[in-house]
Amino acid sequence: MPHQCTNCGRTFADGSKEMLSGCPDCSGTKFQFRPEGFDGSGSASDGPGSGGTSSPGEPSDASGERSGDAVSRRVGSAAATVRDLVGGSAGSDATSARRPAGESADAPPEGESGPGSADPEDDIIVAECEPVAEDAAQADARGGLATTGDLPDDPGTDATEEDVPEPTAGTDDSRTAVSEPDSETADRPDLAELRRELNEQFESIRVVEPGQYELNLMELYDREEYIIALQEDGRYSIQVPEAWHDGDD
Amino acid sequence: MGLLTNLKDSISRAASTLFSEEDPKRIGIYGPPNAGKTTLANRIARDWTGDAVGPESHIPHETRRARRKENVEIERDGKKVTIDIVDTPGVTTKVDYTEFLEHDMEKDDAVRRSREATEGVAEAMHWLREDVDGVIYVLDATEDPFTQVNTMLIGIIESQELPVLILANKIDLEEASVKRIRNAFPQHETTPLSALEGDNMDEVYDRIAEYFG
Repeated sequence: MPHQCTNCGRTFADGSKEMLSGCPDCSGTKFQFRPEGFDGSGSASDGPGSGGTSSPGEPSDASGERSGDAVSRRVGSAAATVRDLVGGSAGSDATSARRPAGESADAPPEGESGPGSADPEDDIIVAECEPVAEDAAQADARGGLATTGDLPDDPGTDATEEDVPEPTAGTDDSRTAVSEPDSETADRPDLAELRRELNEQFESIRVVEPGQYELNLMELYDREEYIIALQEDGRYSIQVPEAWHDGDD
Repeated sequence: MGLLTNLKDSISRAASTLFSEEDPKRIGIYGPPNAGKTTLANRIARDWTGDAVGPESHIPHETRRARRKENVEIERDGKKVTIDIVDTPGVTTKVDYTEFLEHDMEKDDAVRRSREATEGVAEAMHWLREDVDGVIYVLDATEDPFTQVNTMLIGIIESQELPVLILANKIDLEEASVKRIRNAFPQHETTPLSALEGDNMDEVYDRIAEYFG
């Protein structure tokens, strides 16, 4: 039971959807991560952040054993980076903070009274981000999207209690400033690096089995040659840029 | 002399197209599968040219090759805006033939559709890199817009500095939420519509003229 409400101490299975709309018992929205090793012995009074020791998903870990999970997480990060680099609004983008925020962070995943914890959707991110091996509940939680009705309220209208963060200086939109932690921008690897990692680990089209494909959009977008026909054995025909023909003929 | 006049007109029109300083802008209609891209493309094409672009279907990945409709002249406030529309296959990170089996499709057909859909995504991404001057990004307003595909595509479009018009489609359905899409992409203006019913198309054309004219 890796997640525990920091308010009432109720525990939740990893990937549990219950906690997505707040603790059913006390409506608390802060949870701490309890790795399996702490199972049963922990108490709510330990304070938040004690689960940080097990935080995986270090962006620099390029070993790629858990390729599927790691890659999808990095794709999310890359997307956020693309948008942020381009957005030009100096990290004042609420949406980029939603999913990818927790994913690339190597800080303790939750329970911190840091920026963003006032946003109930940030708790959703937290639930997705820390496990090393995804179990059925996590896969389920990842696949199932919470409807707006499942959430306590709109961010901002229900920004309760003391841990509403200071808006980031220099942004004119307080709503977006709230959900972008400062550390996030500081920790984020640059786009080129992320792109290289992605390309190394994940070809543009992976044939899971005939008729089932996984696509790396960034890689498809990046490549100059254009894939025009797939074959069942995983081979594909490409159309190469005209310039490539010059030397051959 | 009507015939001659017509001929003269069409020659001068062809000449003006050939020698105009600016070719029509090529506008890609992008978005996830089943957002209503082809329905929108057909709506625009029918409204201004009388022809359709391609078949529509409720089964995802009906459009598996990019389809173009050239020289679509849209008139707004006495001004003409000419664009080429490119209806692209729905972009996704996973294509699975089993999804099509639910639509009473034989396995062989489903596998083939899946393969073609994957090629279609590759084509759509290629067009985005090379061949479009602007993007109409179509989202199904009944679906959650916070997806990896949407975030990544909008990010790429922004990094290319392409003008992008975000459309919240299917507002004729009760569960549609335009607000959710506005919240997802606050840096862009979102225009609601129902491409199927033709709701709010006037505003859509205003925006097209404004963004791509």
